[in-house]
Amino acid sequence: MRNRATNTLSKGKIRQSWSKYNLYNLQQFRSPPTTNRTFFQQKWSAKAVSRAYHGEQVGEGQWKRMFNHRIRSVIPMNTSDLAADDGSLFSSGRGSGLDKEGKPAFQARPTPYTSMAFAPLERRLDVAIFRALFASSARQARQFVIHGAVTVNGQKMRHPSYLLNPGDLFQVEPDRVLFATGTPKTKLERREGRLAQRKEPEAEEATEAEQVEAEPTETPNTKETLKGLLSQAKTIMSTDKDTLPAKRKQELRGFQKAVRRVLSRSESSNVLTDNLEAQFSQLTLLLNAKRSEKKQPKDTKKDKQLSEEDTPATDAATDAAASDKLSEAFAQATLGEEVDASELSDEEFDTLRRALTQMRDNPIDNTKPYATPWRPRDYMSAFAFIPRYLEVNQNICAAVYLRHPVARPGSAEVPTPFGESIATPAYGWYLRRRW
Amino acid sequence: MAPRVQTRVSNSLLPYLTSTSSISSLPSSSSSQCFSRQFSVTAAPQTKLRRQMFEWLSTEGAELKHHIPGETNYVTRIKDGPMSATRPFPNNPNFVSESILSEELRNEVYNRVVEEKKSVRAVSMDLGIDMKRIAAVVRLVELEKRQREQGKHLALPYARAIHEMVPTTPLAEAGERQTYHEPINDLPAHPLTGAQIFYPVSESRPFNRVEAGRVFSSAPALEQHEAAEISHPSDLAEKVIENPKIIGWVGKGKNAREILQPADVRIPHPHMVALERDRMAHPNERRAVAERQTQRLERQDAAEQQRRDRAQARREKKLQTFTPEKSRFEYRIRETTYTEQTTGSDGRAPWAAGRRYGVPHRDRTRGEVKIPTRVEA
Repeated sequence: MRNRATNTLSKGKIRQSWSKYNLYNLQQFRSPPTTNRTFFQQKWSAKAVSRAYHGEQVGEGQWKRMFNHRIRSVIPMNTSDLAADDGSLFSSGRGSGLDKEGKPAFQARPTPYTSMAFAPLERRLDVAIFRALFASSARQARQFVIHGAVTVNGQKMRHPSYLLNPGDLFQVEPDRVLFATGTPKTKLERREGRLAQRKEPEAEEATEAEQVEAEPTETPNTKETLKGLLSQAKTIMSTDKDTLPAKRKQELRGFQKAVRRVLSRSESSNVLTDNLEAQFSQLTLLLNAKRSEKKQPKDTKKDKQLSEEDTPATDAATDAAASDKLSEAFAQATLGEEVDASELSDEEFDTLRRALTQMRDNPIDNTKPYATPWRPRDYMSAFAFIPRYLEVNQNICAAVYLRHPVARPGSAEVPTPFGESIATPAYGWYLRRRW
Repeated sequence: MAPRVQTRVSNSLLPYLTSTSSISSLPSSSSSQCFSRQFSVTAAPQTKLRRQMFEWLSTEGAELKHHIPGETNYVTRIKDGPMSATRPFPNNPNFVSESILSEELRNEVYNRVVEEKKSVRAVSMDLGIDMKRIAAVVRLVELEKRQREQGKHLALPYARAIHEMVPTTPLAEAGERQTYHEPINDLPAHPLTGAQIFYPVSESRPFNRVEAGRVFSSAPALEQHEAAEISHPSDLAEKVIENPKIIGWVGKGKNAREILQPADVRIPHPHMVALERDRMAHPNERRAVAERQTQRLERQDAAEQQRRDRAQARREKKLQTFTPEKSRFEYRIRETTYTEQTTGSDGRAPWAAGRRYGVPHRDRTRGEVKIPTRVEA
């Protein structure tokens, strides 16, 4: 299917997309005028404008068959109200409760039924993937489905028009999601990726050589290295938007190297050859030991999060004996020179730990199709919301379609950029002239 | 992305176009183009609309470029300030970006259901999360654990970024009250209640929700003694939970349908109404009320479990399966009787059991939709 859903500025149509053109169109958008226009014209333009957003990948005939004039809605019930009155208060008088000082006794906010006109489209698999923030546009979600990157209830599903049933679990390959939602690679990074792929077979030998080389050259100047490590961690964690990605990457690489240097001093040299996780657990253990020697730290929220995050570090507990020796040695080396016990604050340790977690979870890998370390693409936050009829687990890029979207007093669950002045005529259009 | 620039440009323009990323140089370049483009045939490098867009993106829209951790960053923020932080669409006040479960709350739900073996209903009431969502969370966390064990690649930085962008419901600290995530007693609007009915009732008679439901489903009004038995519609809820067959029916044959029950029966947590009533009746007997509530819940859970077991047994009895050794097929054997109703007049009715010889498959017929309508979990 050819993609006619381009983000033109002249037409100013709003699409299901995170593009910056779309963002501009979204904030520029004004409802079509109604003065001096026939009712038919008003409905036509409302329908045209809303169909450009809702299921533009679906043919008009197909959508007309999907449309249902009945709209699902719920009323949140208050149990104490239900307990207080068996309904006779509500039905008293002329059937809607006795007036209180000229005002009706029971007043509810109006339910925006017509905002739900396109609710049947939210059942589609491609739209649900877009709503779960797994793809940057409904078109991209559709492509993921067609390319076989999506499973429904554990089975590969290749039909973007599959209508999800309540309770269906759909999952997208995490790499695709990271690609869709991450910053795209620059030209330089693409080139590096190509080089990395070519060099892959040689890389293994190189790391071994490096390890052999590193051990003898080390001098026991732990104070300086630790200080350097901390400063590097700080620069990495600083959320400065102005730093160029290339610069940032350089810093990250330097940091990685420094960590390796510190670790290489430890007796268990297998840490170096292991993956980053082993390194990480070793370093955190080291730091924990150091911190416990100092004053008891306040249990801040961040610490709790961190300890929950590094669940894979539990395997470190098994080789506790080795790490004990290690931390002792490290602590002695640093404390012996009377440096950091006074200078290193809890915060500094925290930053170091955070930098390490980030490095483990979000490494530099030029072979990936997105810019690494991963960061959200520009203007993504303006489109980031997850409707309540989906329950999403972002870690595994899976979501459950809980139920069909519903309207409730004051709000409608179908995400639509159009207000009542467009939703109602558009709904009226699809009532097939019954309105 | 830098503003679009035509690849083929005349030499005279080059000095203006060297700094492609800076927008400040654009007006000068466009104005000079206007002057030099009088006889040019090549397309303009920058339209007015594009220039306006990039101008907006570099001024007002600049704050939307990166997210602010812990805050939403929608378009409405520019005009209305951070107060309207939950509305992503400036023209639609009816859509709000609602909060999602935080990572800790999600793990807490899993712990309570799987490790502490609490009922979904109890966890739903404690944390204010819909029961369907709790079931989904358990499923998803289970899947996540399995994938972590298998060492599969996870999208951790992505998850962190999303939780920074979207509002989240945090897990309460120890000793604090948990904020409810969503309303848990949503009553689905029944299509029958859409009708506007003029139904005169004498003033001497109270007209409650039970009777309103009967009117909507055009069932005759309750007899005097029947109505007297029900002091409050929530009495009916307990009876219905213990025995759903007491709900009456209206209509005949195809048009037969159950009588519409009052809201007290149809909400997801009907026992909460009973608890409220008990509290109102005995405001000073906290412990006794709580005890009665646990008894009520146990009774209802037992009744529900019994019903589920019975249904399961019936299903198993109905469907016997047989898998020969080293076979990838499972034979499902069920009782059939060969009558005109069960197999059709020629024994080949589409709803008849077994493979129907001589009846062609329709799977290659033109216009046959082969997109599955359900995927078994």
